[in-house]
Amino acid sequence: MGLPSDSGDLSSEMDVDAYRRLFPTHFYEKHLSLSIRPDSRPLGKARDTTLALGAVGSVDGSALAKIGSTTMLAAIKMEVMTPCTESPNEGSIVIEFHMPPICSPIVRPGRPAEAAPVLSKQLSDTILSSGMINLKELCLIHGKAAWMAYLDIYCLDADGALFDAALLSAIGAFSHLQIPTVSLTDNGKIVVLLDEDESRKLGKEPVNSGKKKLTINNIPFSLTCILYKNYILADPTAEEESIMETLVTVVLDSSARLVSFYKPGGPVLAYMSAIQDCVALTRQRVKELQKILDEAVSGMEVD
Amino acid sequence: MASKHGAPPTTYSPSPTRKPHQPVFSDSDADWVRPDGRGFHQCRPAFFRTAAVSAASGSAYAEFGNTKVIVSVFGPRESKKAMMYSDVGRLNCNVTYTTFATPIRGQGSDHKEFSSMLHKALEGAIMLETFPKTTVDVFALVLESGGSDLPVVVSCASLALADAGIMMYDLVAGVSVSCLGKNLVIDPILEEESCQDGSLMITCMPSRYEVSQLTVTGEWSTGNLNEAMQLCLDACSKLAKIMRSCLKEAASASHS
Repeated sequence: MGLPSDSGDLSSEMDVDAYRRLFPTHFYEKHLSLSIRPDSRPLGKARDTTLALGAVGSVDGSALAKIGSTTMLAAIKMEVMTPCTESPNEGSIVIEFHMPPICSPIVRPGRPAEAAPVLSKQLSDTILSSGMINLKELCLIHGKAAWMAYLDIYCLDADGALFDAALLSAIGAFSHLQIPTVSLTDNGKIVVLLDEDESRKLGKEPVNSGKKKLTINNIPFSLTCILYKNYILADPTAEEESIMETLVTVVLDSSARLVSFYKPGGPVLAYMSAIQDCVALTRQRVKELQKILDEAVSGMEVD
Repeated sequence: MASKHGAPPTTYSPSPTRKPHQPVFSDSDADWVRPDGRGFHQCRPAFFRTAAVSAASGSAYAEFGNTKVIVSVFGPRESKKAMMYSDVGRLNCNVTYTTFATPIRGQGSDHKEFSSMLHKALEGAIMLETFPKTTVDVFALVLESGGSDLPVVVSCASLALADAGIMMYDLVAGVSVSCLGKNLVIDPILEEESCQDGSLMITCMPSRYEVSQLTVTGEWSTGNLNEAMQLCLDACSKLAKIMRSCLKEAASASHS
């Protein structure tokens, strides 16, 4: 056995799994030349995607998103804060992305994954800049009290396209979010009203009655693609991401406007045509994701 | 965005603060019922599923009422470089909570001792000599804390180890009992744990009738203690049956 370039001859002689591990690039190139991927997907097709709302009981909004095996659990807890002086009528959203050691063999306790803070930042930028949430709706009392929405996204199983799954779960959690009805106590604290009618009798007026849900506009949806030679692979698995390193993530909103675009380096330099192809693939994917979200939301209203 | 203005503003949870240590019942009212309507000696329905995380060598998900846990097992794999040579395998355990596991955000990090307790509960059940020089990592994430967290983590972890094909003498099942006044309640929920007088947890290998961990805290009479231990052991053997049937189902599903 010589250099990896000789491996073409070996492919017929050795076990498929061994060949896959020893010569991953050759293994993939053989597939790509036939326009098929090892999991039997065509190059431009994303994996099966599901979204379940209300997965966590103890929070105000939650969702579980799965793209293939990649699993994300997002949960929102609402807390109260004093709005800053620059924007007295706005609430705030804090987004944190976590990769606990259970999700991948490369994450060890005490040594957080490098990808986690990067994804945290990307998710915050995308969600806050898309204008999906109107922060003014999070205001309770002008200049005195506003909601702080803590969105925590946990990766439970990391198998590629983490950003796409995380963003989908975040959107699911915001769609599921029920803002608690609260009242103001005598010492200026905001407290949840457990029973609205009961407390009215006691003379406690709710501060925010009738505003239980946030209006969600311009929902951002994303698709991550791999660029490898002349091929474009949509929705990569962890194995594909480790072999072919150039990733492009396109985020479009529901009316197909570009929200953000990430190409964090990588060995492949993209031509305009490749970028356009990625955007076109994302446009198709947005329709699929919008349908999945609509079904999840209508499924929740039936309950 | 909070970060724009330097330090994030301080926030507080608007949920009403619980009345401090209001006893669930006094000794007089005997017709007290548990908050979830269970009998005193009745466990919550247990749900287990293996192969929950595809990236791990083995994994399991467990749900007991509101207590929801995922455990992933990685390895046997290379030990850390700094480790001394060892001709038996090593076990490395870690238990973490999600920030939303507890009613108030970010309180789950209080349970630093759980990692080492999980390690000690499992160590005796694993045939460490079958993977010399390497390490098996057992990582648990408590998604939601609903009471009796540690026993659920231990049971779930032993199932994940079995799913990963790590050799064990037997499955390890864990159950806890809380002592509330004169009464013993099995598999307590968070509310009951917060006002218990004493607590007892047993993790055991029911087929071998061996206890791998026993912790007792708080106030106990000898009679209560004996009764509680017997309750736990009985519940453990029933729990192990459920765990075993979960493994069998998974195995028969993968064959067909």
